[in-house]
Amino acid sequence: MNSLAALYPLVVIVGGALIILLLEVFIQKEKRDYLGFISLAVLASASFLAVLSWNRQLAYFQDMLWLDNLAVFMTLVFCLAVGFVILMSLKYIEQQGANHGEIFALLLLALAGLMIMASSSDLLVIFLGLEVLSVSSYALAGMRRADEKSGEAALKYFLLGSFASAFLVLGLALLYGAAQSLFIPEIIVHFGNAAGSTAMGLIGLALILVGFGFKIAVVPFHMWTPDVYEGAPTPVTAFFSVGPKAAGFVVLVRIFINLWDNVQAGNLIFWALWTMSVLTMIVANLVALRQTNVKRMLAYSSIAHAGYLLVAVLAREYSGLVYYLAAYMFMNIGAFAALIAMTRTGKEYQDLDDFSGIGFRYPWIGAILSVFLLSLAGFPPTAGFLAKFYVFSAAVRAGLVPLVVIGVLASLISVFYYLRVVVYMYMREPRWPVEIEVKNPALFLVLFLCLYGVLQLGIFPGNLLIVIKQAIASMPVF
Amino acid sequence: MSFPILSFVTFFPVGGALLLIFIPKEKASLLRYLALAFTLVTFVASLALYLYFDGSVAEPQFVEKSPWLGYGINYHLGVDGISLWLVLLTTFLMPIAVLSSWTYIQKRVKEYLIFMLLLEAGIIGVFVSLNLFLFYVFWEAMLIPMYFLIGVWGGPRRVYATLKFVLMTMFGSLLMLVAIFVLYSFYYRATGAYSLELFDFYKLVLNPQVQGWLFLAFALAFAIKVPMFPFHTWLPDAHVEAPTAGSVILAAVLLKMGTYGFLRFAIPLFPDALERFLPLLSILALIGIIYGGLMALVQRDVKSLIAYSSVSHMGLIMLAVFSLNLTGIEGAIYQMLNHGLSTGALFLIVGILYERAHTRLIKDFGGVSSQMPVFSAFFLVCMLSSVGLPGLNGFVGEILCLFGIFKTSQLLAILAISTVVLAAAYLLWMYQRVMHGPITNEKIRSFKDMNQRELGYLLPIVIMMFWMGIYPQTFLRKMDASVSRLVDRVHNRERIFVHEGRPSDRLKYYQIRESRDEPSAELAFGSGEEKK
Repeated sequence: MNSLAALYPLVVIVGGALIILLLEVFIQKEKRDYLGFISLAVLASASFLAVLSWNRQLAYFQDMLWLDNLAVFMTLVFCLAVGFVILMSLKYIEQQGANHGEIFALLLLALAGLMIMASSSDLLVIFLGLEVLSVSSYALAGMRRADEKSGEAALKYFLLGSFASAFLVLGLALLYGAAQSLFIPEIIVHFGNAAGSTAMGLIGLALILVGFGFKIAVVPFHMWTPDVYEGAPTPVTAFFSVGPKAAGFVVLVRIFINLWDNVQAGNLIFWALWTMSVLTMIVANLVALRQTNVKRMLAYSSIAHAGYLLVAVLAREYSGLVYYLAAYMFMNIGAFAALIAMTRTGKEYQDLDDFSGIGFRYPWIGAILSVFLLSLAGFPPTAGFLAKFYVFSAAVRAGLVPLVVIGVLASLISVFYYLRVVVYMYMREPRWPVEIEVKNPALFLVLFLCLYGVLQLGIFPGNLLIVIKQAIASMPVF
Repeated sequence: MSFPILSFVTFFPVGGALLLIFIPKEKASLLRYLALAFTLVTFVASLALYLYFDGSVAEPQFVEKSPWLGYGINYHLGVDGISLWLVLLTTFLMPIAVLSSWTYIQKRVKEYLIFMLLLEAGIIGVFVSLNLFLFYVFWEAMLIPMYFLIGVWGGPRRVYATLKFVLMTMFGSLLMLVAIFVLYSFYYRATGAYSLELFDFYKLVLNPQVQGWLFLAFALAFAIKVPMFPFHTWLPDAHVEAPTAGSVILAAVLLKMGTYGFLRFAIPLFPDALERFLPLLSILALIGIIYGGLMALVQRDVKSLIAYSSVSHMGLIMLAVFSLNLTGIEGAIYQMLNHGLSTGALFLIVGILYERAHTRLIKDFGGVSSQMPVFSAFFLVCMLSSVGLPGLNGFVGEILCLFGIFKTSQLLAILAISTVVLAAAYLLWMYQRVMHGPITNEKIRSFKDMNQRELGYLLPIVIMMFWMGIYPQTFLRKMDASVSRLVDRVHNRERIFVHEGRPSDRLKYYQIRESRDEPSAELAFGSGEEKK
């Protein structure tokens, strides 16, 4: 249905971001928290508007923006994630000298980018969304202006991100040349023709894959990830590890759900993705073994998860993929929230040694972080296990047994480094006194909500799976 | 079934764990009493299973089934004659384990008890699950409390031991998970319906080649758990480093999860593959018997001596399982219970010694019996039960096992007898060096005999040892029907059809090429179910 209503959530988010930018000038430094609360209200109203458009298939701009159920669902996931990130940063930015009201505005703008990416089937619009997201992200990574690492992260992200965008644009140009369109369905139709799979089109497609490979951080396009994740302010890192990845995968789903059966080059793309998935799972997990910085370790773990998510794409288990993304959102943001709990003014504890004895000194933080790590490692009864279960069982059903064997063995490696954090927390005596500020109600709200999410999704996901199935089913298939 | 007794037995300890979270950790003795109460209530509730269990029925009883997550994932519990006794063994030993750590655990009592209760729930869950998803959830979830129990309250090398335990177990079980997925997809392709029900999978008749791979994946997971030679290396580490109660549960119950897995999953699901791998497995079991026994002979630490004796005893149990006849398998199950009792008791006894001497090295002891006469009597009985003295439980189990093995292969039986000989050698020699002789260590003179609490938890075990040794019918007659059904599943499937119906032709010799080969692109693309 062609209706302006398709734009409402987006308009609310962008409008909110602009208002916050304006207010930031006038509001006193001590009262910056209010900006956070305003942005939460903005998120709530955007989610409400998104929920209203469930099952209505709203579209606008000649179908370039299409709010199908999947887009609605992902909008909700993104809003929730950004809401968590804002709650996490309220106190953090004050402690770590990143107290700039822009962070909220930038997060909302990045969210707008994510929403555009998730709700379009036109590659050019997707690219626009990606750029909105990226530009905000570069600024977000450098939010801790006084910190060298943060600056390094911003610069690295900017340079490599620009390269990735350049690849993507070149790919789009070539694809447009080959297919005379950037609307995914039309591209598919073109590629379906016997004469369609020209070298130009194929190279274009490959370059687009490279561009998205950067964004979702899969090996061999992952080099920027650890440095950026380590340098960026921790709440921002939590956002990076969830938002762009989820949006990137939704785009891949939109491309591939139509592409597999119709494109002659599907075979080639299949093996390219297969290789990337295997490399990602193996390399990321092996490198994560060597990390002594927990934040960096989580960066590699998020790369590894991209590998498992690719398995879902290959198995065409799209509802499993979306479920995995939701579960991953809860457990990864939760893990980063626990990392933020390990701070005090001007100091962040991120080294493995810092975690020695934390489990008994701060029992709640230790226990909750353990649950998130176990979930990331895929232990039942958490969301992480169920997500892996859906993805891998579907992959076996699709005949990808070797891929699944590699996947489970890679996740065995991951068990080691996730459990190592637990070992430090519970089985080592503290090396040096670690004093953290525990009074941070917003952060604890995030921790408990994520914990609830991880357990609820792991034990009684209930209707969520049905909702996801509906979301996938609503996607326009041409 | 009006009252969901199995759910109650499984999840009541979880309720206890949740309650304990909210009790301040300063109230250590309140915490201990509560944990004891929860485990005791669980035990009493599980006695109802025994009372109302009908031994003449082969099918699972007390069945609870309700849909859970869809896609064939159901909440499906039930016990049959095989799992009944393992559930009872677990609930019986748990209060004992809690009692045994009453004074031994002084630090972080609250967390310790919470993990013990969670562990109990996990183990019982493994034994009562009839849905493979549920089974796997419990199988993995149970690792977490054990990981903490060894890692936090264990000995000096605890971190190494616990990581080795978790990673080795995970290695096997993750491959088993892939095999479960393969079965899942076979069933889906054969019938078009999702199922993870064990009894649905029993009906799948797979071609031998596929069976071989699947069997290997399942067998690896269980062989690591048992542990069979050469996958036993985690066991001595874990046993030696774990706190007393941890070792007790580890040896008495956790190892049985492996043998149980063979009986419940690996053997009935893949009978043809089993036949092919039987010689190899039997030889590995035999090596385990002899190797474990010889290693036990040369240990200097009492605890690692008992740990290696477990390797040896579990080897005998596996050999009896692989004899695949009624006597052998009943003997194996019986011996699983015996091993649980006697090895559990031996670990408790080592714990009692360790609490007094703070050492476990055999050379530090000698002449203890003169200071602790009651203790020495209990030690003697438990030790003899492990050796297999007639009149005690170990004898019945071992003789049944050996009869069973003898029926299949006389040579194996003759070699398997070495388990008894070796057990007598290392245990009697150890007993002699620890309990008799002159007192060399002056500390021993200050040893006090067992107190009431220690008596209280060893006495029930010793009573059970005599009961099981003198009147085994109580136990064996409850398992007859289930075990003979199992034997039928392997040897004469026709008889199964009388009860369960013949598998439809669609389920027969269902072949899937790509499970062995590389996934050809055509297959990988041609079978997507998302296709609209």
